[in-house]
Amino acid sequence: MGCTQTQHEKENNMTLFKQIALMLSILLLIILATVLNLNFKAANTSVEDRLYEDAKNTATSLSLSLGSANGDISMMSTMINANFDSGTYSFISLVDVDNVLLYERKLESEELEVPEWFLNMITMEAPVASANVSAGWSQVGILNVQSDVAYAYNSLYSILKGLLISFSIIALVGLVILHLLLAIILKPLTGIQKQAEAVIRNEFIFQEKIPYTTEFKDVVLGMNNMVSKVKAMFDKGNRELQRQKALAYRDPVTKLNNRKYLIDRLPEYLKIDATSKGGINMMISLSGAIEANETIGRKKADELFNDIAKLFTTETEEYENAIIARMNGTEFSIFIPDCESMHGLMMAEAILTNSQFVIKKYELDNSETFLSIGLYEYNHKQSIGEVLSHSDNALAQAKFKEWNIHLAKAEDTVEVMGKNAWREILLSAIKENNFSYVSWPVVDAKEKKLIHNVLSLTINVDKETTYSYGQFMAAANQIGLSDNIYKNILTTLFKSPDSSLNYDTYSLRLPYEFLMLNNTYDEMKKLFASYALVLPFKLIIEMPDKLISQNSELVQDYKRLFEKYTIDMGVFEFIGDSQNYQYLQDLRPIYIKGESNYFLSQNEQTLSALRLITDSVGISLIATGVMNKDTLEQLEAKDIHIVQGKVTEEIQV
Amino acid sequence: MNVFKLLLTLSVLVVSITYAQEPYVEKELLNKITKKYKMFAKKRFLYLQKTLDEVKDGSDLEKLEAVNVFYNGVRYMSDKKVYGKKDYWATPWQFLGKDRGDCEDYVISKYFALLYLGVDSKKLFFTYVKSSKFKATHMVLTYFKTPRSEPLILDNNNHKIFPASKRKDLTPIYNFNGESLYRANRSGTGKKVSNQKTHKKWDALKRNMKRKII
Repeated sequence: MGCTQTQHEKENNMTLFKQIALMLSILLLIILATVLNLNFKAANTSVEDRLYEDAKNTATSLSLSLGSANGDISMMSTMINANFDSGTYSFISLVDVDNVLLYERKLESEELEVPEWFLNMITMEAPVASANVSAGWSQVGILNVQSDVAYAYNSLYSILKGLLISFSIIALVGLVILHLLLAIILKPLTGIQKQAEAVIRNEFIFQEKIPYTTEFKDVVLGMNNMVSKVKAMFDKGNRELQRQKALAYRDPVTKLNNRKYLIDRLPEYLKIDATSKGGINMMISLSGAIEANETIGRKKADELFNDIAKLFTTETEEYENAIIARMNGTEFSIFIPDCESMHGLMMAEAILTNSQFVIKKYELDNSETFLSIGLYEYNHKQSIGEVLSHSDNALAQAKFKEWNIHLAKAEDTVEVMGKNAWREILLSAIKENNFSYVSWPVVDAKEKKLIHNVLSLTINVDKETTYSYGQFMAAANQIGLSDNIYKNILTTLFKSPDSSLNYDTYSLRLPYEFLMLNNTYDEMKKLFASYALVLPFKLIIEMPDKLISQNSELVQDYKRLFEKYTIDMGVFEFIGDSQNYQYLQDLRPIYIKGESNYFLSQNEQTLSALRLITDSVGISLIATGVMNKDTLEQLEAKDIHIVQGKVTEEIQV
Repeated sequence: MNVFKLLLTLSVLVVSITYAQEPYVEKELLNKITKKYKMFAKKRFLYLQKTLDEVKDGSDLEKLEAVNVFYNGVRYMSDKKVYGKKDYWATPWQFLGKDRGDCEDYVISKYFALLYLGVDSKKLFFTYVKSSKFKATHMVLTYFKTPRSEPLILDNNNHKIFPASKRKDLTPIYNFNGESLYRANRSGTGKKVSNQKTHKKWDALKRNMKRKII
């Protein structure tokens, strides 16, 4: 089973996109911060220069004006006052040639409209501009002028605010553009990632759009190549399995199924928890086949067989589960679950009557060439051998009957408890939720490893009375309570999982009828939405091959629902009875469970074709009902190592 | 005895070398000037050095006379013709190297030569004047013995130095002394100002002097 990365792990990992985006964002912000800093410093210098230039201009022009005062201090003071009051100066002073202060004006208080932190951050020094003052040829002294820094601080603060706003906008726009550019550049990577994730999930996605970037292009081409090869492998396995199935299960003349097919299908109906409690198995023999062959020739005889086979199909078409098989050259079997004896007899008579018309059509004598039909009314607790031998007996008797039809019935098994008693127990168990879980292991005999545990149920009536699944499920099926039981099991499992379920992985088998119920999917959806994420173990829901191979809308809905809540899908009762195995690729169950007899009866070609399919999509093969070491060894010889059944008790894990 | 005489001679030589004044134009710079302005320029600089050396122990007046006479020997030519600019303050090396210049160039060269001779910079001013004779703006170097005394005028149009009162043809407009303004700037803020600026042309001249523009 493939090891996939969980959503949680993925979220913890930093994607390439995030890493590059983070790196470039930091770089962009550093560049912007540096540019902002440089800009601000330049503005600072420029403001300082401006302060000096203003002071210098004032000093020069004022010194020229002062020269016209011919050394009159009061005149010069007035001129200085006029200048000081009209401008923004920190001070204006006039010193004589001996550096003695003649006059000075100083700003008394500075009103700054900037915050304290800004004042602390910026150290600004307004340069003093000086000019010589002279009256005629005589020197008066030196005029010193310093501009007021308050103006500069206010200007700089406005500049800083403007810079911060514009740079924030640039940073924001830059980051958005960066994000978009990265998304465009790395878009092929998303495709590659999806393809890689699909490969992990054993899906085959072929990327049609080849990226322009060389590295990405090489990776995509490589992945496409790999995917094509695996896909080809799957298709080859699919074709081979179909071919082998045709060889193994089909009668080449009548295109009906053969005896092997019937035997592989019967376990589905002859089991303790079978939904169908019984039915009719008809054994039909064509007498006079050799004579017919001699009379009308091989080709015509084959056509006769075909026409008779069509009769079987036509007469049983109202039973969708009927299995029609050609058992040997002259014998056929029609296995009809849920068919009552009276209706079986009517069908047999219809077949017999119609067969006489068909035989006549080939100008054969009805007294020489005719059908005999033995009907056996079986019940689901019987073994395959019992059903077939009783059916053979019925046929043998039919051959001696005038009408060539004989009906035999299985002896009614004496029930320990009556239906009413079971109904009471089951209804009470459902009401009071008296079910408890038991589990048995599925083990990899080669790796000596526990693969998962299969969940089963018991009903605990009281301390001394416990009914096993095998005991109560047969009764539940007969009474029609099995669906309620499965609904109850699922609800309990999700809402209040048993604390004894302390293994990592459990599988739960759900029958065809339950899964096909109208409201099962919706109820499961609600249940999963509320509880699936807190389930303390990994759950695998097993679905019958009969359902899953339909690959219907419903099955796909189930698959999507399971995937959403990381619940795996398994297949049970697999006998490879499908026209196409594409459903295995589409649905990718994590394993296929088949009866050990099924695997053992397959030839090497069929198994290797099946392996080709399952290996290419990462599906494990599991043999169920493995009772002893001998069977295990035979399975291992066929390279099947994961087993379920009594033999697991003997495997040291 | 001979050894004693030799030692004495050597001692006198060492002392005289140690205390001898650096030349106005150092040797390396003179070589560059020679390379750029050829041999006659070198000779002019050597003659300047000789002139300066002759008055180095004299009075301020003797120094003013010698420097004024020497530099007034340089031909007057407008900045436009010499430098292709309307107004350019040439370094003393450019002025004597090219052997031509306008009134500011005379003032600058005289000013730095006088500083070399030990005249106090506080006594020397660049003075913008209006010349009624030429009906044009003009610049002269003025020397104030004391801050309040009548200045002496060093004019490139006049080989003789006169007190200001004798120069009726000149109307003073503006006095300027770069060094005193530097000092004033420092005293104004109480701090040493980096990248000092006092007067745009003066600042540019100081930069050119520092970079030894010839």
